[in-house]
Parts: sequence; structure tokens; C-alpha cells
Amino acid sequence: MKRSYVIKRVLYALFIFVVVLTLNFFIPRLGVGDPAERYYPPKGAMSDIEYEIIKQFTREQYGFDVSTFQQYIRYVQGLFRFDLGTSLRSGSPKVVELIGKRLPWTLVLSVTTLLISLVIGLSFGTLAAWKRGRWQDSVLLNASTISVALPGFFIALMMSFYLGFELELFPAYTNPNMVADFDWSKEAIMVVLNNAALPIMSMALGGIVGYSQSTRNSVIAVTNEDFVITARAKGLSETTVLYKHVLRNALLPLTTSIGMSVSGLIGGAIIIEQVFNWQGMGTLFLEANSTNDYPLMMGIMLFLSAFAILANLVTELFYVVLDPRVTVGEKR
Amino acid sequence: MTGRNVLLQVAQRGGSFLGFVRKLWQHPKGRVGLIMAGFLVLVAVLAPVLAPYDPYDVTQRAAKGLRPSWAHPLGTTITTGQDILSMLIYGARVSLMIGIGTGIALAALGALLGVMAGYMGGLVDSLIMRIVDILLVIPTLPLIIVLTNFLGRSYFVIVLVFVLFGWTGLARVIRSLVLVLKNSNYVKAAELAGASRWHIMTKHILPGTSHLIIMNTTLTCAGIMVAEAGLSFLGLGDPTAISWGKMLAEAQSGGALLFGAWWWIIAPGLGIFLSVFAFMRIGLVMEEVFNPRMKASSSIHKLFKHLNNKYLDEVFQSMDDEAACGPPERLDEIDASQARGLP
Repeated sequence: MKRSYVIKRVLYALFIFVVVLTLNFFIPRLGVGDPAERYYPPKGAMSDIEYEIIKQFTREQYGFDVSTFQQYIRYVQGLFRFDLGTSLRSGSPKVVELIGKRLPWTLVLSVTTLLISLVIGLSFGTLAAWKRGRWQDSVLLNASTISVALPGFFIALMMSFYLGFELELFPAYTNPNMVADFDWSKEAIMVVLNNAALPIMSMALGGIVGYSQSTRNSVIAVTNEDFVITARAKGLSETTVLYKHVLRNALLPLTTSIGMSVSGLIGGAIIIEQVFNWQGMGTLFLEANSTNDYPLMMGIMLFLSAFAILANLVTELFYVVLDPRVTVGEKR
Repeated sequence: MTGRNVLLQVAQRGGSFLGFVRKLWQHPKGRVGLIMAGFLVLVAVLAPVLAPYDPYDVTQRAAKGLRPSWAHPLGTTITTGQDILSMLIYGARVSLMIGIGTGIALAALGALLGVMAGYMGGLVDSLIMRIVDILLVIPTLPLIIVLTNFLGRSYFVIVLVFVLFGWTGLARVIRSLVLVLKNSNYVKAAELAGASRWHIMTKHILPGTSHLIIMNTTLTCAGIMVAEAGLSFLGLGDPTAISWGKMLAEAQSGGALLFGAWWWIIAPGLGIFLSVFAFMRIGLVMEEVFNPRMKASSSIHKLFKHLNNKYLDEVFQSMDDEAACGPPERLDEIDASQARGLP
């Protein structure tokens, strides 16, 4: 039973991936005209004949010299070798290499943010639920209102302004030499932490509120259950009830929301990275967009989607393992 | 009485649009939201009359970087000397136009697909739900950026892209509700009477979902406004218009942070906050008005997951609980929401 469920979910994830990669292949080929035109370099001072040769060369280099179907086959074959194509940048770097260089820097931000928001969010959410209706709870309500109505990048800008420029606590912009100078020495790590402080703080704010909210709701839902009333009735201390009976059950539904934030780990910070000029995946994508580097853009898209599919799959399977009550195979 | 029955009653109660507005007005928090939203709409419509200066006038070399004063209530920009109050007033047009326009279009598409998926079932249902699954894994913001790159950066394209990729949440919620309504007696009666599927869907099922659609639209409007500000901030909005997100981007690139021009940053942020807040309020109060039995529990509880596919299950669950053990204790504060629409 369980095994067939796992196989089913994996196959379904594969199906979604195939659809996504097909879409990914066809989006740059949408629209009228020859898709290869987007890949030509600017003509500049070249003569017509030279430019024709360059165009021909570009077509061959990016595989536009064969039929669309053959291109698709080649594209899929490339994926098996983890080849996402070649960037239009000078030196024709592989898209995978560019992603590989930027990915760790995004992960530094997003993983730290996730951990911080989880720890603070879970504790604060439990507190707000336990002190329902008291001031701790209303603090959470007001914080939620503000954090939802104010865009994250505005909060980031304000932080950059007050904590960065006015109080000079942290660098308001990322040090441009940070990535190049990084050598795993203690100083370099301190520089990274220092530069990452503001981006992480502005991203964690929304995460903390989100996790507090869902923890609070889930804890309150469990608190009303019969077994909690029984536990209290038999004279257990409030702490025992909270830790042994309530939290254990309340944290289960949070797996889903954690899974969702994991799938957004590598692509969810585009705007914040832009505010602080952090050299991660988000800014790489924006660079690709502003230079019309289509192979790079689509490569990043596919990478992000694949990661999201994988994260969703793992969450789904994990949930079944964690909660045996989940009815396997039946979707509500 | 089970939760599903209660929900059916709520769905069947219906009511006119004016009736909704009256009920909202009678609710103190709803009134605040309505007044704020009305004020913003008024500002947007009357922008040319209200704006003290021409917001597109970038030639005021003598007025660069002025602090707020009587002549320029919100100061001027450092780079070009544009009057910030005038820009703020014109920015309301973009924000509201995109927010409301997209919200309504999204509601139409989401409701149509949700009702179709729920009522027709079978192939249509699985096709629509597979599309939902696929759209869920594609990262939205990068996709929007790619599409605006290919299709151009006019507002039409931006709205189109928001609509094409934002309908999934509403469709799922509507679908779950339709699955309940489908088995109600009045739909069965209509089927027995020989009504066409189209007739049943538009005349019997759609009205039953209207409260969810209206509430969701209001919250989507708020979410889209934030998303639009984000896009404009990245420089991906319509290059010819003034929007709050673009003002923030200009402030950042124009050195507002460096020169301490706080008025340049705070003004557009306040604009975004007020408009999103107003629509969020209305959406929240609507939920309370449409579904009085939900009143006692904190509405933020539901709104933080209103795009979640378990939403309706939670609603049923809370109603079952309430029917079984009486209303939960009342909270003093009922506030805020989940309005994160797109990115």
C-alpha cells in the first residue's frame, strides 16, 4: 500500500517535471519570427557578410540549425548530462556553472532565514496560542497586519536606510568584493555574516510572522481536542500538557508550510537580493533578464522548478511517514 | 447540524450587492476599510485636479531634494526635483487599476475554472487540477519576468500574466465548495427537471459561491497591489507610468538612502501600505459578514491560509466543532490577513 503510494507520487512528480521542461523549451520559441534572432549578438560595426557568418555560427552554437523536434531531443539529452545550455555572456560559460557559483550565496541567505524564522516563529506562535487573547496574542495580530500589508522590499529598504546608513550597524549594501575575496578564513566568514545581516533580517520578518501565525492556529486547534482536556483533567502540569500532548500534534501540519518554504529557498529572494545587491540566484536572474540572456533565464527557471518539484515530493512523502493517519492514495 | 449543512445555508442565503455593502458599512472595521478604499479611488480618479504639480515634470532643477514644506508637502526627489505628493497621487491610479482590474479578471477565470472542475468532474476536473499542480511548482516571479521580457512591459501584459498564473488559489477553493453544493437538493432538483449543465452552473452553483468569490477578489486585489509594486521596483513595470514601486526603485537608485532623503522612501511605502490595508480590511470583514457563525474565531486564522487547499476543510471542521461544543471563546481583536497573492 505504502510502496505503491510512493511510486505513484514519484511518477506524478516526474510527469510534472516533463511538462515543465517542455514548457520551458517552448517558451523562448513562442511568438512570431525566428527564435534564433534573439540569440544573435548586436551587429555593431560588422559588415553584412561578417554578420551573416556570425549569425550562422550562432545558429549552430545554440542548435538552431536542426528542426525543432531534434532541438527538443537534444535539449532533453542535455538534461541527462546536467547540461542546461550555454549562456550568451562573453566566454560562453555553461548555465550550470553560473548557477553553481551563485547558488551557495543564495542558500546562505535563505537557509539562515528559514532557520531563524522557524525557531522564533514556532516559539512565538506557541506563546501566542497559549496566551490566547492576551497581549502576546495581539502583538502577533498587529505584526501580521503590518507584515502582510507592507511589501518585504520596502521593509528591506527601510532597514538598509536606518540600520545601514543612519546607525551604521551593518553594511547597507553588500560589499562587492565579498564573493571574490571569500577564502574560508575567519575574517571572510565574518564579512559574509556582517553583509548578510540586513537581508536576513528583512526576509526573516515575514517568515517569523507567517510561522507564528500557522503555529498559533495549529496549537489552538489541538488545544480544543478531547485528549488535551483529558490530559488536563488528570492533573498533568501545563508544561507537560504543552510539550507532550499539544506541540507534538500541533507541529505536524506545519510540515506542509515548511515544505513550501523549502521549495522557495533558492528563488524566493529576487527582490531582497536586488535591494542589497546580494550576488545570488535572484540577481543572476535579473542580470540575465536585463541582458536578454535567454538560455540563462530558462536554465534558471528549469532549475528552480525542478527544485520545487523535488521539495514538494519530499514533503508529501515525509508527511505520510510522520503522520500515519494520512489516508494514503486518497486526495481530498 | 453538520458543517456542510451550515455552509449550504450560508451559500443559499445569497443577497444583493447593495446588501453586502450595507452590511459592510454597518461593521465598524468594514467602514474604516470602505472609507479608505473610497478615498483612494477618489484620489486616483481626481488625480489631475488634486496633484499640485506635474508629476512628469523632470526639469525642476531649482527644486531638487527639497524637504517636506508647505510648497511641497512631501518634498521633492533628489535627482529630478519632481514633486513627491503629485507622484504619489498619480501612483494611486496604477496601483488601483492593476489591483482591481486583475482582481476582477482573476475572479472571473478562477470561478469559471473552479465551478467547471467541481461540477463537471471527470476529465475536465483532472485536466484543470493538473494545470493547477503544474502552475504551483513553476516559480511565479521568474516566470512573470520571463514573460514580460518576451511579450513586452505594457500594463496589459502584466495584468494578463497575473491573471494567467494567479487563478489557481481561487479555483481550488471554489472547486471544494462546488463539490459540496453539487450534492445539495436544489441542484439535484434542477438536474431532474432537465436543466442544462450550463444553466445549473451559472444559475444555481455560481450564486452559491459568490460570497467566496467576492471575498477572495478583495484579498487578491490587495495581494496583486503588493506584487505590482515588487515588479515595478525591479524595473519591470510599464516604463511610461508613475507607480509606487517604481518610485521606490528610483529612490534607491537615486541615492535617497545615501543622502538621507527619507521622505522619498516613506511616501510610496505609505501609499502601498494604505491601499493594501484598506482592501485587506474589507476582505476580512466580508468574511465575517457572509458567515456570521465564523465570527467568534479569529479571522486571521483563516486568512493566513485562505489560499491553502485545506481551507474549506478547516471551515467545515470549525463548524463541526462549534456545533458539537458551542462557540469558542471570543477574541477581542479580529484583524489582518494573508494577502500574499503572487510572489
